[in-house]
Amino acid sequence: MKLISTTAAGALALAFAAAGPANAAGVLNSAVNDWTGGAVMCEIVHQIVENEMDFKVKRIVMPSGPGRDEAIKSGDLDYGCELWPSYSVSNTQYVKEFGGDGSIIKLGDSGVVGVSSYYVPRYLVEGDDAPAPDLKTWENMNQYADLFKTLETGDKGRLLGCPAASWQCEDSARMEALGLNYEAVELGSEAAHWAEMQAAYKRKEAFIAYAWEPHWIHAALDLVKVQLPEHSEDKWPATGWATDVTYNYGNPEFVEKNPEIAELITNFELTNEMQAPLILAIDVDGREMDEVVSEWLDNNEDMWKAWLPK
Amino acid sequence: MRRLPNPDAAPYHGSRLTPATRTITATTDNTSLRPLRKGLVSFRGYNLTIAFFSVVGVLVSLGMYSIAANKFPFPQSVIDAFPFADWINEGRVWLEANLKTYTRAIAEVVKLPLEWLEETLWTLPWTVVLLFLVIPALAYGGLKLGLLTFAGVMFWGMVDMWYEAMSTLSLMAVSVAFSAILGVMLGIVASQSDRFESFIKPILDTMQTMPAFVYLIPAIFFFGVGATPAAMAIIIYALPPAVRLTNLGIRQVPETMVEAAQSFGSSRLQMLLKVKLPQALPSIMLGVNQCIMMGLGLAVLAVFIGGGGLGEQIWKALTRLKVGWAFEGGISIVFMAIIFDRLSYAISGVAKDQTRQVGAKFRLLPQKWNQNTVAQTIERPVGYLCDLFNTAGEKLTSIITNPLRFVVPGIASVFSNRPLLIPGLLVLIVTYFVATQFKWMSSFPRELEFSIREPIDFAINWLTVNPTFIGITKGIRSIVFLYLLDPLDSFLSGLPWWYVMGLLGLIVWKSTTLKFAIVTTAFLVFLAASGLWEISMFTLAGTTVSVVICMLFGVPLGIIAAYSKPVDAVLRPILDAMQTLPAFVYLIPALFFFGGNKTTAVIATVIYAIPPVIRLTTLGLRQLPNEVNEVAGSFGSGPLQTLFKVKLPMASPSIMLGLNQAVVFALAMQAITPLVAGLGLGKEVYDAMNSADLGKGLTAGIGIVLLTILLDRLTQGWTRKQRKALGL
Repeated sequence: MKLISTTAAGALALAFAAAGPANAAGVLNSAVNDWTGGAVMCEIVHQIVENEMDFKVKRIVMPSGPGRDEAIKSGDLDYGCELWPSYSVSNTQYVKEFGGDGSIIKLGDSGVVGVSSYYVPRYLVEGDDAPAPDLKTWENMNQYADLFKTLETGDKGRLLGCPAASWQCEDSARMEALGLNYEAVELGSEAAHWAEMQAAYKRKEAFIAYAWEPHWIHAALDLVKVQLPEHSEDKWPATGWATDVTYNYGNPEFVEKNPEIAELITNFELTNEMQAPLILAIDVDGREMDEVVSEWLDNNEDMWKAWLPK
Repeated sequence: MRRLPNPDAAPYHGSRLTPATRTITATTDNTSLRPLRKGLVSFRGYNLTIAFFSVVGVLVSLGMYSIAANKFPFPQSVIDAFPFADWINEGRVWLEANLKTYTRAIAEVVKLPLEWLEETLWTLPWTVVLLFLVIPALAYGGLKLGLLTFAGVMFWGMVDMWYEAMSTLSLMAVSVAFSAILGVMLGIVASQSDRFESFIKPILDTMQTMPAFVYLIPAIFFFGVGATPAAMAIIIYALPPAVRLTNLGIRQVPETMVEAAQSFGSSRLQMLLKVKLPQALPSIMLGVNQCIMMGLGLAVLAVFIGGGGLGEQIWKALTRLKVGWAFEGGISIVFMAIIFDRLSYAISGVAKDQTRQVGAKFRLLPQKWNQNTVAQTIERPVGYLCDLFNTAGEKLTSIITNPLRFVVPGIASVFSNRPLLIPGLLVLIVTYFVATQFKWMSSFPRELEFSIREPIDFAINWLTVNPTFIGITKGIRSIVFLYLLDPLDSFLSGLPWWYVMGLLGLIVWKSTTLKFAIVTTAFLVFLAASGLWEISMFTLAGTTVSVVICMLFGVPLGIIAAYSKPVDAVLRPILDAMQTLPAFVYLIPALFFFGGNKTTAVIATVIYAIPPVIRLTTLGLRQLPNEVNEVAGSFGSGPLQTLFKVKLPMASPSIMLGLNQAVVFALAMQAITPLVAGLGLGKEVYDAMNSADLGKGLTAGIGIVLLTILLDRLTQGWTRKQRKALGL
């Protein structure tokens, strides 16, 4: 035991010598989304903040949800990007714009507009021997329910619904409200959801699944949207989802203390089309995110310089 | 000691037996053969009784099902009157308001060393970190451990996960240090006071079986997000084995030794420090080692609270379905587990007799190859080199320690007893300064990177679309679902709740004690009143099916491995990998092959829970004294007869221990399977974590704890009765 402590002490001394003084203006904690699109958005902000404003940013990756909202609210995390209002349970509780108490501040739209719906693979609906040519809208879903039957769902077709109940997609309620002979199943995690779709796709099996855009799954699989009834707050969940105007957000204390960073985040906006090539470079070409982003910053100086506070 | 693991706690115990198995084997060895026949007869009698009552029980239950199926749901009025989850959540709000300041202050204590260590490991040249781990491995574990450590550390860099590995390393080092110190201290207290021991034991049981996701919800509230709360969660989660094994080790110090020390007039404190603690060191180190393994498992799950490191890599890979990438992260964790495991084992000195055999010539190859000339030629220069290093180290040490001896003799002896310490430190310091001059020595050179992602992805992809393979997997899935899982689930949840409670109570009473039966029934009522009855029944059905499959395949495999060395040799590393690899990693391939449904979760559970069954079956058979064969042979029984009539019954306590471990492992896996469509109590916990509902999570977590403890005690009770029948 003595040896460990002595060696450790030696190494510590060595390490002390190695750790140089930190000369940043401060350290920020940022909530990084665990999907590529969401992560790349924030990475742009991080690099600008680090390069231009002399802050150090700690990137904390964790799944979105109430836990993360709680951390933003309490100031453990300072800011985050691309929050999808449809899936946030707590925005009506905390964000003023949604009727909340203002313990989380909305910092402008992120520019990405999200669409959620049910999707089927193209080989089901298009082509000469496509088994379900009319499966373009929800009204025809019952007609093809047999195609999606599984052991577990018995006579009903299986709908791969949102993977977790906490997303509040209400898939089961929707099936019932629309009188559809489908059973919505939850696969528990996003990973499982995409895995099931991908495996079925590779084997050219029939599946109907919830998904959203923009998402890398559309680069991997050729999916077609099934039209759902127009979104309506009153009839929900017998309707499709609202279009998600995603936004960036921050902790009130952080916003107050760092108005210039808050302004940068508010000004910052990246559309779906602008985000797509970045996602492609990372997920399809397998490049490092920080590299892709710093290259983007080099090539789009005019754009991000305009976001900086005047 | 019995382990109640968490699936992602990377339970690396392939190479070593738990003390429980040691006792079994010891007693088997001592069996003289005369009472053997008598034991076998009474064993048969015992099992016939069991079989009889089981058949009666099943028939009565089937009758009950046919009369009363689905007619007796648990009264909703009771459920409504017992909003336990709400009480917990209200309690949490109160705790948050009143305790947060203090918990945050405690977190600061952990945060400081943690951030400093992470920063340091990130900035240190990679060559220094490499040597810092390899030199002690060489010094304590010999050449083999040194090479293994070298390979592991290089692997982190080669798969481009250096920084992530350093984060996990610092997280582990800091939290395990805190956990081990706290655990050993609590263990010492527990060993000195019976009252404290009986107070802390149920708490430890609960801590070990409670799914980690339950911990992670409040960790955010009390400790924030990032590596610090992850460390806090690990400290709490990994504490039990350290406490337990310290306590056990101190209590097991032989009476004679204590008496001898007493006769020399040592005080209680002297006795503890000078006699008991050193004697208990192997057990304490095993506890620390288990603490590390539990901690590593949670380090992966900690991604849910922003824990970072390798866990984050695995999680990111999973959400993008990059199986190969996830495997790289998983293997990095496996290497870390093995290095921690072997290194702590070697440093503790428990393994001294094995690794530093007197006169051992072979340092690299197996000792028993020493007759082989080729092996000798390879080994000879290795030996010379080792001797050269040792002598050089000793010389260098004595040059420095000799003058030092006159000044501070204490420190000098510390160094001279460890001839590699001074040279090691010198090498580290020199490497550090040299490394600052060369880029390839300071940051891991990209030329050395290599990726195993593509071949893994290719293999997985090939299997996913292979019609024969998928035909087989779909067949397995249909059989498991249609003939096992679904019927058992409808059966258990259809039976009247009072009947199931009564029957379970009766079984528990007969297998263990009346007191435990009453406690069990009370907790079952608690579960039902919390509205979790049907979900619990599903969990029970799923666990039973998983364990039955484990036994059906595990026992025969174990028997084959016991008879065939090659099979054993092939099986061993596979089992090691199955148990050490974070379950996250193989969930997605399991889903690719078996589809997203509750059966896949059962299959994933089997993968995780089958290794102890195979291992303990092989062990039980191998450990039988040789005379058993001879005696059985002299009665004219053939090998098959010997196996079934003599050997299997005699090995049954070990096999039953395998069953027990499978049950405990299967329930631990409940925490992970919700990620692949697993249902039941684990799913409740997981959903609760996703919506930050501590009350719901804790209630379902208590359900898992209860089922685990219940089934654990039951199977232990059976094992005990079998051993008794066998006259062991």
